[in-house]
Amino acid sequence: MSETVTLARKELLDLRRDRVVWIVVGTLGLAVVLSVVVASLDFRAQLADYEAYAAQVKASGSGVTPAAPQLFPLQLLRGGMEYVEVLGALFALMIGYGAIAKERSRGTVDLLLTRARSGTSIVMGKLLGLAILWAVIMAAVVVTALASVALIGGSTIGWHEVGRMALAGAAGWVYAVFWSAIAVAVTTLTRNSTAALLTLLVLWLVIVLVIPQIGDTMDPDNQVPGGLFKALAIAKPDEHAVLHHFATYESLRNGLEVSSLSKLYERFTFATLGIKDIYNGQSLAVVWDGTFRYVIGALTLTGAALTFAAASGRRIHTLRRS
Amino acid sequence: MTSTAIALDRVTHRYGTRPALVDLTLDIPEGEIFGLLGHNGAGKTTTVGILTTLLQASAGDAVVAGHDVRTAARDVRASLGYLPENVTFYNDLTTMENLVFFARLSGLRRPEARIGEVLEFVGFTGHDHERVGTFSKGMRQRVGLAQALLHRPAVLFLDEPTSGLDPEGVRALRELILRVNAEHGTTIFMNTHLLSEVTKTCTSIGILRSGRLVHHGTLADTVGAFPTEDALERAYFASATDAPA
Repeated sequence: MSETVTLARKELLDLRRDRVVWIVVGTLGLAVVLSVVVASLDFRAQLADYEAYAAQVKASGSGVTPAAPQLFPLQLLRGGMEYVEVLGALFALMIGYGAIAKERSRGTVDLLLTRARSGTSIVMGKLLGLAILWAVIMAAVVVTALASVALIGGSTIGWHEVGRMALAGAAGWVYAVFWSAIAVAVTTLTRNSTAALLTLLVLWLVIVLVIPQIGDTMDPDNQVPGGLFKALAIAKPDEHAVLHHFATYESLRNGLEVSSLSKLYERFTFATLGIKDIYNGQSLAVVWDGTFRYVIGALTLTGAALTFAAASGRRIHTLRRS
Repeated sequence: MTSTAIALDRVTHRYGTRPALVDLTLDIPEGEIFGLLGHNGAGKTTTVGILTTLLQASAGDAVVAGHDVRTAARDVRASLGYLPENVTFYNDLTTMENLVFFARLSGLRRPEARIGEVLEFVGFTGHDHERVGTFSKGMRQRVGLAQALLHRPAVLFLDEPTSGLDPEGVRALRELILRVNAEHGTTIFMNTHLLSEVTKTCTSIGILRSGRLVHHGTLADTVGAFPTEDALERAYFASATDAPA
């Protein structure tokens, strides 16, 4: 254990001096802030439209007041969470890849191998360092997100929001650890750094973009902008009745979607933050009831990735130059 | 009676189908400074790779400081110090940070005092807080040697230790190797193709040719067999045509 901690401490020292890491933290922070700015502007535009419409209705002498658009402050974070989902995964891959590839490019592998007890402890030490780094990055994202919602969105932030955002941050951390483990394992097992990087980019493309996109495209409700059922003014009970006839198709589509960790992460965070309409204003117990299987799925996949990384340590001699 | 520090018994290693070492059998007693000579590609680095647990031999047995490299690799690693050819460190870390890292990996809990001692020994004080990336080859070799000595290893492996060093650096490193052996009784195994270095440093030598050991003996015996100024050079080239020893 102490050897793993030694390796993690060295990794953190290394990462702290790595400009790429600072660029990653800055980019993620900026992306979250920008997404809140855009969402806030959008909401203000909706509010202005509503006020203009309400004024028109009032001027027409009608006594009916149209329903005002409701703001759930954490909904402003939709874009920010999507950035974490897409960019966070990419950054975790890049940093995880770098943690192993740099040993090969610097030529420090031989020294490391003659001093460490085992390849597994080297890999796990690096992963521990990366996990700590991502805990710090996610904490920064949570603070930035809440501050942006309060200062830019003009919303009041209470313990309720802080708690939910902390849960979303924890989910983001698990998500980043998964990608770090995959990056470390693939880079350790691949003889050539360029091949490792290409493999990781393909994995990222498939898991983060392709699978969720196929799932979205297969969703009947997504065939019309704004939702097919909404456009056809079909009520929820009728929608469920229609979909009941396509149960097998929907199971397949859903199965495909949840085979991607990105989708599991997205479903959990969107539910926790109330970004998904059906979870708006719902208690955490309701959210948990609807999402616990995604949490279990995400934890299982991350556990498998960590096991894969630990096992790759036995083949760490692949990193030697000759 | 002197016991054996390094023993190789019919060690063979192949890269694919190409043999790099063939039936290498060798005993090196404790306290020796052993020089393994050979042309490029003779199998010197492969031999060090197997003895330092970086490579697994295709066949045969090897023992370092009483531990089998195959079945007790951790114990072997704990007993050896290793200075690779073209030693590299973490360039963004300082001398002290690099050495603290390697010392902790070697099991030293509070290594600062020991690091000071070793840096003093290798004559490299005053650079503790400088980043290793700014160092010359000679400076890095000293840090490398300090790293290899931190945990007081029983056996020290040096792979082409003087390669790329200027004459002053070669001399300084040679003196350090002799001091490590004399003051701590450390067995030293060095790969080189510099015959002059072997005559000035080693107590026994082996000559590898195309993966086969073609000569093994004490330096005195080897030089005695060729009583001229260029004795070792003659021995080296004679072994090229001799039958394996």
